[in-house]
Amino acid sequence: MSSNNEILDTYLFENNSLLEQLESIVLDAEGSSAFSEDNINEIFRIMHTIKGSSAMMEFDSLAAIAHRIEDMFYLIREGSMAVVSEPNRPALFEIMFQSIDYFRKEMGKIEAGQPLDKNIDQFLQNINSLIAKIKGEEPAAAPAADNAASASACGYVGDPDFPYGLVVFYDEGCGMENLRAFMLLTSIRDFCGESDVRFLPEGIENDPSTADAVIDHGFFLMFKNKEDREKAIPVIRSAGSVKSYEPQDCKLPAKEEVEIPVVVEETVAAAPVAAASAAPAAAASAANAQANTTASAAHQKESLISVHQSKLDQLSALVGEIVITEAMVTGSPDLKGLTHLDNFAKSARQLRKLTDELQDVSMSLRMVPIATCFQKMNRIVRDMSKKLGKRAKLTIIGDETEVDKTIVDNIGDPIMHMIRNSMDHGIEVNEEDRIAAGKNPVGEIILSAQDTGSEVIITIKDDGRGINDDAVLKKAIRNGIAYPDIEYSHKEILNFLLMPGFSTSENVTEFSGRGVGMDVVKRSVEELGGSVTITSEQGKGMTTTMKIPLTMAIMDGMEVSVGETIFTIPLQNIRQNFKVSNSDILHDTVNGEIIKVMNNYYPVVRAKSIYSLPGGVDDVEDGILMWLDAGDTSYCLLVDELIGEQQIVVKPLPAYVKNFDIKRHGIMGCSILGDGSISVILDVENLASAVFAK
Amino acid sequence: MANSVDNDIMFLDPETAAARKAAAANLQKYLIFMIHDEGAADLKFGINADYVVEIINSYTVTYLPMMPSYLRGVFNMRGQITPIMDFRLRLDKVPTTDGLLLILNYNDMQLGVLVDAVDRMIDIDENTITAVPAQSSQRFVSGMCTIPDLSGTMMVLSCEQLFAHE
Repeated sequence: MSSNNEILDTYLFENNSLLEQLESIVLDAEGSSAFSEDNINEIFRIMHTIKGSSAMMEFDSLAAIAHRIEDMFYLIREGSMAVVSEPNRPALFEIMFQSIDYFRKEMGKIEAGQPLDKNIDQFLQNINSLIAKIKGEEPAAAPAADNAASASACGYVGDPDFPYGLVVFYDEGCGMENLRAFMLLTSIRDFCGESDVRFLPEGIENDPSTADAVIDHGFFLMFKNKEDREKAIPVIRSAGSVKSYEPQDCKLPAKEEVEIPVVVEETVAAAPVAAASAAPAAAASAANAQANTTASAAHQKESLISVHQSKLDQLSALVGEIVITEAMVTGSPDLKGLTHLDNFAKSARQLRKLTDELQDVSMSLRMVPIATCFQKMNRIVRDMSKKLGKRAKLTIIGDETEVDKTIVDNIGDPIMHMIRNSMDHGIEVNEEDRIAAGKNPVGEIILSAQDTGSEVIITIKDDGRGINDDAVLKKAIRNGIAYPDIEYSHKEILNFLLMPGFSTSENVTEFSGRGVGMDVVKRSVEELGGSVTITSEQGKGMTTTMKIPLTMAIMDGMEVSVGETIFTIPLQNIRQNFKVSNSDILHDTVNGEIIKVMNNYYPVVRAKSIYSLPGGVDDVEDGILMWLDAGDTSYCLLVDELIGEQQIVVKPLPAYVKNFDIKRHGIMGCSILGDGSISVILDVENLASAVFAK
Repeated sequence: MANSVDNDIMFLDPETAAARKAAAANLQKYLIFMIHDEGAADLKFGINADYVVEIINSYTVTYLPMMPSYLRGVFNMRGQITPIMDFRLRLDKVPTTDGLLLILNYNDMQLGVLVDAVDRMIDIDENTITAVPAQSSQRFVSGMCTIPDLSGTMMVLSCEQLFAHE
């Protein structure tokens, strides 16, 4: 049963990543309204894989649809994009988007264990009618397709962008054909730009099975420029073991007359001579190949391995344990009073260094580029701009930023919500309004990510009409969040947007404004340990900034004691620690205490009394004040003493304890100290809201 | 249902037959533990051994603020932070002074329960567990059962009620 689940997991994982890939291909291609040769092959391959794996898992409806799409792309692949006439293209893209959505939906059902949608006839019908349309024009395109096929005797269809082909055949039985081809490619790239030459079969440098394809069909090079091909010919001549080569001009299907390829075949007898003279050259190019493999990293397939997330979690947990144990061993009380520990100290330092490194590596394993999440937003913007009839483009900046996997998994919904909001409420309905305001008629939403070292900052910025403070305030008053006789600052008004049940749109629309507004965004970002702020200038647009810690598993903290209890306070929240005398403490009207620091007044919070701890100092002069800062709150916390700064592994609260909702009281988690005891990690912001809400 | 099992047994080797019979009788391992009650006999509880992870007698409690008083705090169980519930306090009796910690795992929630003493492990036929008298409202108890060697009666601890939040 479990092995069956594993297969299902793999199936879902693979197909979901294939769908993501497919979506980005289709989105890209829609821009140019055509699929390139590569795209067609890729889509064909994706559909083939989905069909195969779905059939294996007995999801027949999925297999059936994938099969029809595969058929459709078979036609397109045979005849290139030209078989789909211009008027049919939007329909083709639409079908592709529909099918991506369909597969996604069904994958979701499979994941949730629900039965699949058996009623696929209508959808199949749509695909079939499109295929019929494509076929209907086939007679015109077919000859071209045939010609293209025959023109390239090797069976490869030419690419219109790389019209100047060259097929190289190697001596029979010379071996390692794929590597020979790769060496040849490298020496050709020496004089010809990497983007100016393409080659088939792909993966020659690290896939030995391509050798067979090279033997059977030859090594196929395609050049953008004729000159490059001319230059390549002497290089091929001088390369070892080349039996023959022939230039092949790719015909743009259905446009030009087919040229009969000029076959220049060198005699086999000439080859050994060429090979002999080329031996040193080949050696040189081999060295070049070595150097270039690193340079042409873009061409190398990254050697990836997919690992189940639970294993990574396990690894992080183990590494955390090692860090703690290391501190336990090196700080062991048994060592106290011992001298002559030079060797021990040396080894301990080495151990420390290695565990630090181990920790870094295990953390980096969980880091993934945020691109997967960002790319999905392209689709949202596209769909909404079609539906709402607003022209808008999405600009993505910094999508290579790496963040923890959990963040990527959970940040998608908040970002999507904000983008929908921008599309729906932000960007102006009438382009005239935009032009009148001196803006580009096409709206722009900028989605960016930036890594500051400790946190990642994600901003969603639109150039729409911005937030109307008066409208927001009116609505807030109507909803009972704000009071009519109080004056609110611009910042405070923007904060209303993040409160539960607030939505500025008068009408509920399909995309946003369901009443579950941005408070959802705020909550999900806070669950990741981050914060959300909104800034806006009326008429210029609005910006949402989400700050999220890069990883929640390890942080720098200050250990403090209150009686017997040890608390850890995140270092980033601490502004200053200082001793005060009783006379510095001011009292306010509600029995609160206030202190003046740097010409500002801050409330004093006693850790002992808010948590009703059994021990701890009562006299301010015996303890120490910590000036803490989080979000927009700032206050001073009285603790007994500071123990020291330490890097800690954050352990979530036990499941049973979580149900008591002590997070709301500012307890974020626990951490195990070097001596095996437990410290309680405080959340400075939640603590403040718990204390001051009363 | 029981009939068909008996019929099948005729065609099986003795060992499998015994196992089948045991299954029909629905034998389960139960751990019996005690709670001292001032001025009264000890309370005897039984808990299905499936929920018991281990028994620990040495631990250091770390106080966790803002929790109900019966939660004494948390302790470090080999790197896993586990909450400790004082069962006597949970039953509104005086706090446990020197007890054992039963580590229970229910629905992936781990909880240490402080009890006074652990008696032993026994096999109980679940069919012999009878319902709690309807008149008396019992807390954390899902049934009553006479211990097979007639050494007394145990109350069957309900993990569901124990782990529930009030």
